[in-house]
Amino acid sequence: MAVSIIAITSKYAPGDKSNLIAILQDAQKKVGYITPEAVDKISGHLNISRSQIYGVASFYSQFKFNPPGRNSIKICLGTACHVQGGDFLLNALNSEIGISPNETTEDEKFDLDRVACLGCCALAPVIMVNDAIFSNMSVVKMKDLLDLYE
Amino acid sequence: MRQDKTHITALIDGEPVRVRRGDTILDAARKEGIYIPTLCYLEGMKSYGGCRLCLIDIKGGRGFPAACTTPLEPGMEIRTKTPELQTLRRNILEMTLSEHPYTCLVCADKKECGEFMHSTRKAGTITGCNFCTSNGDCELQDLIDYLELDDVRYPISYRGIPPVKSNPFYDLDYNLCVHCGRCVRICNEERNSNVLAFVERGNSTIVGTAFGESQTSAGCEFCGACVDVCPTGSISGKLGKWAGPPSRSVKTTCTLCSVGCSMNVNTRAGKLVDVGPAPGGRMDPPQLCIKGKFLAGDITEHPDRITVPMIRKNGRMVEVDWDEAIRVAAENLAAWRGNGFGIIGSAQDTLEENYSLQKFTRAVMNSNNIDLISSFPDPRLQEEIASHLQPKGRLEDILKADTLLVLGTDASVSHPLVENRIRKAYNAGRKVLYANSEATRTSLFSTVEINYSKCKDYNFLFVLLAELARETISGLPAGFAKQVKESLLISGLKSCSVKKDDLQAFVKALVKSRSLCIIVDESLLRDVSGLQTIKALANIRFLKAEKSNCRIMLLGNEGNLMGAAMAGAHPYLLPGLDPVSDDKALLKWNKNWDVKLSDVRGLPCNEMLSNIGRDGISALMIAGDVPVSGNLGKASLKKLKFMVQLNMFSTELTDHANVFLPVTGFLENDGHFLTLDGKIQRLHRAVPPQGKSRSVSEIISLLAGAMKADGFSTGRAGAVWKEIGSSIKIPVPQNGSPKPRFELMKPPDSRNAGSGKKSGSGKNHQDHYRYRGNRLSDLVTDLQALLESGMKEKV
Ligand code: SF4
Ligand code: SF4
Ligand code: SF4
Ligand code: FES
Ligand code: FES
Repeated sequence: MAVSIIAITSKYAPGDKSNLIAILQDAQKKVGYITPEAVDKISGHLNISRSQIYGVASFYSQFKFNPPGRNSIKICLGTACHVQGGDFLLNALNSEIGISPNETTEDEKFDLDRVACLGCCALAPVIMVNDAIFSNMSVVKMKDLLDLYE
Repeated sequence: MRQDKTHITALIDGEPVRVRRGDTILDAARKEGIYIPTLCYLEGMKSYGGCRLCLIDIKGGRGFPAACTTPLEPGMEIRTKTPELQTLRRNILEMTLSEHPYTCLVCADKKECGEFMHSTRKAGTITGCNFCTSNGDCELQDLIDYLELDDVRYPISYRGIPPVKSNPFYDLDYNLCVHCGRCVRICNEERNSNVLAFVERGNSTIVGTAFGESQTSAGCEFCGACVDVCPTGSISGKLGKWAGPPSRSVKTTCTLCSVGCSMNVNTRAGKLVDVGPAPGGRMDPPQLCIKGKFLAGDITEHPDRITVPMIRKNGRMVEVDWDEAIRVAAENLAAWRGNGFGIIGSAQDTLEENYSLQKFTRAVMNSNNIDLISSFPDPRLQEEIASHLQPKGRLEDILKADTLLVLGTDASVSHPLVENRIRKAYNAGRKVLYANSEATRTSLFSTVEINYSKCKDYNFLFVLLAELARETISGLPAGFAKQVKESLLISGLKSCSVKKDDLQAFVKALVKSRSLCIIVDESLLRDVSGLQTIKALANIRFLKAEKSNCRIMLLGNEGNLMGAAMAGAHPYLLPGLDPVSDDKALLKWNKNWDVKLSDVRGLPCNEMLSNIGRDGISALMIAGDVPVSGNLGKASLKKLKFMVQLNMFSTELTDHANVFLPVTGFLENDGHFLTLDGKIQRLHRAVPPQGKSRSVSEIISLLAGAMKADGFSTGRAGAVWKEIGSSIKIPVPQNGSPKPRFELMKPPDSRNAGSGKKSGSGKNHQDHYRYRGNRLSDLVTDLQALLESGMKEKV
C-alpha cells in the first residue's frame, strides 16, 4: 500500500501545498479511505504536518478515515429524523453492531456514517443501507433489517 | 490634526487618535488606552477575525466590522461601546458560553467565591469550578465583567469530551475550549511546530491532531506557547494548576541555555504558579522552550531537592546546621591549599557565582585549578573564540541575514529560540544552508541540506572553505592553494561523504549572500580539530567580509560559558581574560585582592578528574554534578582525600562527598548572565530559597570567612557584581584584536580524517537537558517519558 501512495504522490511536485486536496482524493480512490500511512507519506512529500493534513481532510465530508465495510449504513440525524427518534436508532445501532459513526465493524461487515438529511423527511426516521432507503424505522425493524446483510 | 504619508488621524470615542497608516482600529484603540473586548486577537500575530467580540461602530458605515481586522482610515469616527454593540457582543458571548461550563462565570456568589476559591467546600459543589484550574487565568471572566453579562439564556450543552491527562507537562480539557484558534495559530505561525489544527467540522470542530494521536506523537515540542495563550482553562500546565491566582510576578532570565530568554515567574505565597506571561499579558515576555517553561519550575520545586547541609560522619551522610557544615568544610579545606585543590563550577551559574568560585580557588586556596563542568577540553579554545569569532551574531541577525549557514546543530533541542528564528527565516524565503552529521528537525527548514559522515565536521568545513576560496578571491593565499591542491577536492569530499553538487549549491549561495549569519554548534569545537575549526570559521568570515556583512553565532550548550570564563572561571585565565602566565596580569590581581596568587597554570576540568591521586588532585569542590564514570571512576574517587559538593540534588557523586552544601537554583537567585549574543541579562530572585539552601556566592563567602580570608563580601549578588565591576568589564572588550586575515589551517587527514574523536569533559554534551551537570531526565519523570518516546525524531 505504501508503494501505491508513493506512486500517487510522485505525480505531484514536492512541496506544492496547493495539491493537497487532489492527492487526498487520489489516495482515497486507491485505498478507499485515508490511512495514517497515507497521511505520513503526503506529509513528507508536501512538507505539511500530519495534523494540518488531517485538519483539512476531516473538514470535507468526502474523506473517510475508516475502511469501507461490505455494507454501508447511513443514519439520518436531520431535524425531522432527530425529532422522530434518530438518536435512539443510533444508540441501538451502537449496541447492536458495536460501532459509532465513522467506524467500521471488526469483521468489516458494516461501516456507519451520519448524514444531515436524506430528503425524505415525511418518512422519518430514515436509514440508508448501501443504496436502499428504509423509512419509518424502529429499533425492532432495524434489527431485523441488519440480519439480512452478509 | 494632520494626515501625512505615514500617519493618519481619526476619532475613537470622541478622542482624536494618530497612528501609523495600516494600523487596525484595534491597534489604534490599544495605543490610546481604549479597551475593546477581544477573544481571538493575539498581540503580534496576524489577526484572525474569528470571535467577532471586537466589533465596533463606524459612523456612516454599514454593519459592525471587527476592529482587529479593519484598518483605520483617515477621518473615521468610531464608537467602541454603544448599547447596541454591547447587546450584540453579549449575544455572541452567550452563544460561546452555551458550550462552555459557565456556572462559575455568572454565579451570584462569584465575588465571595473568588476570595475563598481554595476552600475544600468549593470543589465539586458548583459546576464550573471543578472543571477549571484555580490559577485565575480566564479571559472569559474579564469579558463577562465588561459586558455585564449576568445570565446565559441557553442551557449548557456539555460536550462530554474526555479530558486528556496523558501528555507530559500540560493537561487538556477541550470542553472549555472557545475555538479562539490562538493555540493553533501560535503553534503553526509563531513556533512552526505544526502540531495543532482544527479538526472535524461544524459542531464537532475541535482542536486536535491527526487521527486523535497524542500531542507527543504529533511532534509537540512542549514549548508551552499554547498554554500561555489559551484564554480559558482548556490547556493548562500541570505544575501549579491548583496553586491559586498568582500574587507576585517577577521577571528574570533563563540560564538553561545560552540564549538567556527573559522569563516571567508567577508565584503565590512563595509557591510557583507558573512560568509564563505576567497576569493580564499573553505575549510578554514572549514564549520560552520546554526547558524554561516547564523544567525550570519542575526542578525548583522538585520533591527530591536537598535543602539541608550534610556532612559524612562514620561513613554516613547526616544533616547538620550551616555552622557545623561550614566549619567542617573550612577546617578540611585549609589542609589542602595549593595545587592539590580544584573547583569545578557550572556555566549555568551566574557571573557572580563563577567569580566567587574562582576568587576562592585563587585567593584562598592558592590554586588556579578552576574550571567548568562543560568547559572545552582544550582551554586555549576559549581565548581563540573570544578573539576569532567576532563580530558576534546577535539573535536579531538571524532574521536580518539573507543566508544562514547552520553547522552541526540540533537547535530545536539545544537552543529552541535560535531554532525558532531559523524557521522564521526559512519561511520568509531566506536561504538556509544546513550541514550536520545527523538528521534533526532543523533540516525540515533548510533550503539545501548536507549530511556528512560522523565526526567529519572539520573535513567538511575544509572542503567548503577551499571551494569558497576558489570562487571568492582570485589567487588563494599561497600556502592554502598548495594545501587545497594536495588534499584534492575529490578525496576531501569522499572523506566526509558529501556530494559535489550539494557542496556547490552551498558555495553558490554563500557567494551570492550579502549578509550571512553562521550558526555553529559548540560540538564542532569539541572535536580534536577544534582549534582548526575556529580558524576555518574565521576564514569563511574573512572571505565574506570583503563584500558582505558576516556574523558568527556560537551555540554554547551551557548558558554562561563565555561569561564564566570572563569572570575568571578558567584554568588559564584570570578575570577579564587576563592570562595567568602574564606576570603583569598576576601583579594586577595580587593587588586587587591583596594576596599572592599562584603563577602555575591550572588544570582543566578533565585533567583535574583524571589526575586524582598520583600527586595530583587531592581535594575537590564541585558545584553541581559530575557523572561517576570515565575520568571520574569510583577507584579515583576513593583516592580523593576530601570533597565538597554544592548541589540541589543528591547524586551518585554525593556518595563520595564529605560535605554536601545545598544550593539555590536560578529561579531563587539574583545575578547576571552573559548570553550567546554578548548581552548582559539580569536574574532576579523569583522564588524564595527552598529550605535552608543558599546561593553559591553566599556559601563561598561563609567558607572564606571561616578560613579567615579577607576581602570577601557577604556574597549577595549585588555586592559581588559591584566588586566585579570595579576591576573588569563584562563582556570583556575585544580591542586590539589583530586585523582579520586568512589564517593557514592544518588540512584534515583525508583518509582517516581528523580521527575526529570528540573528547574531554564534554562527553555527554549531546544531552541538552542538564542543569549544573545534573541530568534533568533523571529528575523530571515527564521529561524522561518524553525522551523515551523519541520526541525529537518526530516531524
Ligand atoms: S506546546 Fe508548543 S509545540 Fe506543543 S502544541 Fe503547544 S504550541 Fe505546539
Ligand atoms: S484550546 Fe484555548 S487557545 Fe485553543 S482554541 Fe480552545 S480556547 Fe482557544
Ligand atoms: S531557549 Fe534557552 S534560555 Fe530560552 S527558555 Fe529555552 S533553555 Fe531557557
Ligand atoms: S431529516 Fe432525515 S430525511 Fe430529512
Ligand atoms: S478579536 Fe477581533 S474578531 Fe476576535
